[in-house]
Amino acid sequence: MLMRTDPMTAHTPEATSEKVRPAVQLDGVTKRFGDSMALHEAWLKIRPSEFMTLLGPSGCGKTTLLNLVAGFLEADNGEIFIDGDLVTETPAHMREIGIVFQNYALFPHMSVAKNIAYGLKTRGVDKKEIARRVDEALALVKLSGFADRKPRQLSGGQQQRVALARALVIRPKVLLLDEPFSALDKNLRGSMQVELKQIQRELGVTTIFVTHDQGEALSMSDRIAVMSAGRIRQIAAPDDIYRRPADRFVASFVGDANILNGRLVEKRGDVAVVSVGDISAEVPVAPIAALSIGDAVDVFVRPEHLSVTARGASGSLPGTVTTQVFQGGHVDLYIDASGSARERILLRSPGIAALSSCPVGAEIGLIIGSDDIVAFPPGEAA
Amino acid sequence: MNTRPFLGWFVSPAGLVAAGLIAAMLAVFQYSVRAYIPGTLEVGGFTWANFEAMLRPLYALAFWNTVLICFETAVFTLLLAYPLAYTLTRTNSSALRSFILIVSVTPLFLGEVVRTYSWMIVLGNNGFLNTLLLKLGLVDRPLRMMFTSGGVIAALVHVTMPIMVIMLAAALSHIDRNYEKAAESLGAGPIRIFMTITLPLSMPGIVAGFSTAFAWTFSAFATPQLIGGGRVATVSTLIYQLGFSSFNFPFAASLSIIGLALSLAVIALLKKAASPLERMAGTT
Repeated sequence: MLMRTDPMTAHTPEATSEKVRPAVQLDGVTKRFGDSMALHEAWLKIRPSEFMTLLGPSGCGKTTLLNLVAGFLEADNGEIFIDGDLVTETPAHMREIGIVFQNYALFPHMSVAKNIAYGLKTRGVDKKEIARRVDEALALVKLSGFADRKPRQLSGGQQQRVALARALVIRPKVLLLDEPFSALDKNLRGSMQVELKQIQRELGVTTIFVTHDQGEALSMSDRIAVMSAGRIRQIAAPDDIYRRPADRFVASFVGDANILNGRLVEKRGDVAVVSVGDISAEVPVAPIAALSIGDAVDVFVRPEHLSVTARGASGSLPGTVTTQVFQGGHVDLYIDASGSARERILLRSPGIAALSSCPVGAEIGLIIGSDDIVAFPPGEAA
Repeated sequence: MNTRPFLGWFVSPAGLVAAGLIAAMLAVFQYSVRAYIPGTLEVGGFTWANFEAMLRPLYALAFWNTVLICFETAVFTLLLAYPLAYTLTRTNSSALRSFILIVSVTPLFLGEVVRTYSWMIVLGNNGFLNTLLLKLGLVDRPLRMMFTSGGVIAALVHVTMPIMVIMLAAALSHIDRNYEKAAESLGAGPIRIFMTITLPLSMPGIVAGFSTAFAWTFSAFATPQLIGGGRVATVSTLIYQLGFSSFNFPFAASLSIIGLALSLAVIALLKKAASPLERMAGTT
């Protein structure tokens, strides 16, 4: 079972300190499909020009949230504001949003130029101005000279650029991106991400990006809203999400995490002290505030925050190397430490030294070399 | 190179049927160039007389009539079937979907004759429609609907409807809904979305449905025969009259050959005329 965080921890920091008018604001938006709760009371404020990512597994409600902002779905409860205007009841075609779909949805019967011009024609922009802005948009996505091609004559990456140009040319109040990279191969994906981020920053367009890929989310976003089971779990900057996950779902969904069996030793102010075997470490108190001293806790440690030392060194956990996986820039060691963890531990050792120093079967000591440790009340491995 | 040797066996039944059909067509063709000997089923020697006779206004008019009836039927069927097919593929209500399916597809199971008889009941001078109009005081005396090409077209539209709905629905359901969503996000209202996205993208289905309706109607016999009552001459009713009332097999055969050629020619023409429309949909 997922432990529910106090909703206040997830939302108050922005809610109170926000001075600028949010570009997009969701106030307690709820959406049900029959009996299933697709989105449960979403509260979200997106700043102008911000790149906000909705991250979560499939079925977590991120696409529902996107469709609600786009106007393709109607909220059952709550209000949606775009640029300060209440748009909860506004039909999609009057919301002035740009969308890039997962499959791009370029109109197959229109040329690239006609695709891009579509949103300008609906707005009654005059012909000369349309031609000028289409050229400009094509240049922006580096596709000048492709104006007369049909979408099916373009590669996946080019189609995506056209889709982006079509969405941006109308100067939307918000740009919505629905898993736009999932159809691209891995190499292309990386370069498109860099390019998209560059264009987004250049134009300063407020962007909502939906993905299930934590790597994309961490590398591109100004802030990430991690979602699961129709709820927003945490809204924070990528490094905060990674270093200070608000609950065990976020901790396990974003990045790799080892779960060590710990115990709550002390609470003082914002921090708590937990112990795992001989090790003691400071963690944020919020997630485990309800527990009492001496209670069991699950301590989450990233693989790169563990390092190897001699067996029996003070402040270390005993373990045995069971598998070595050479990854090029680093070595993954799987370590059996049955006393301190229920599952085998993953340790990420930079460089290649560990290949020779930690052979399979080696008995080693584990130390935690970072402050970025969090603890949660015990539960299933989420 | 043939990695699926059983494929030959799969198509052989169809091949047999095709061979039978070709043999029958050859027999019909053979009849069409023979002389008619009144009073007997025997046929005489080789002649082109049957085809020459077809140039007489009576027969030319029948051909023109048939093409006109088929064309009008296809147009009306398309206009009536499109909204049904559109609703069928777009509604979220499964009850409405079932209703449309039942209404539009069950006529397929009734057969042409049964459906035509029910139309006779509707269209007759004492029929349902006239009784209703009289009772409502909209007309003083019954409108003549039986034995008119209007009546024939009404019944043919009903007969052709299921196939048109099915073909249009197939085309419409293949249109990615994201196209419409994308257009909507770009500021297009429902009418503009329909005119610029949905309609052009469904064009292949419209062309296919229209040609099928045309061909389907061209060969229709029971409906024009029963509702037209001999007063609406079409190619198929003429063939029947000549073949089975006058027993002029050679002339009936030549009519069949010309009818077939005409129908193929018109459909080829339709395809040609429609090809820019299909290109518009970006499928060719």
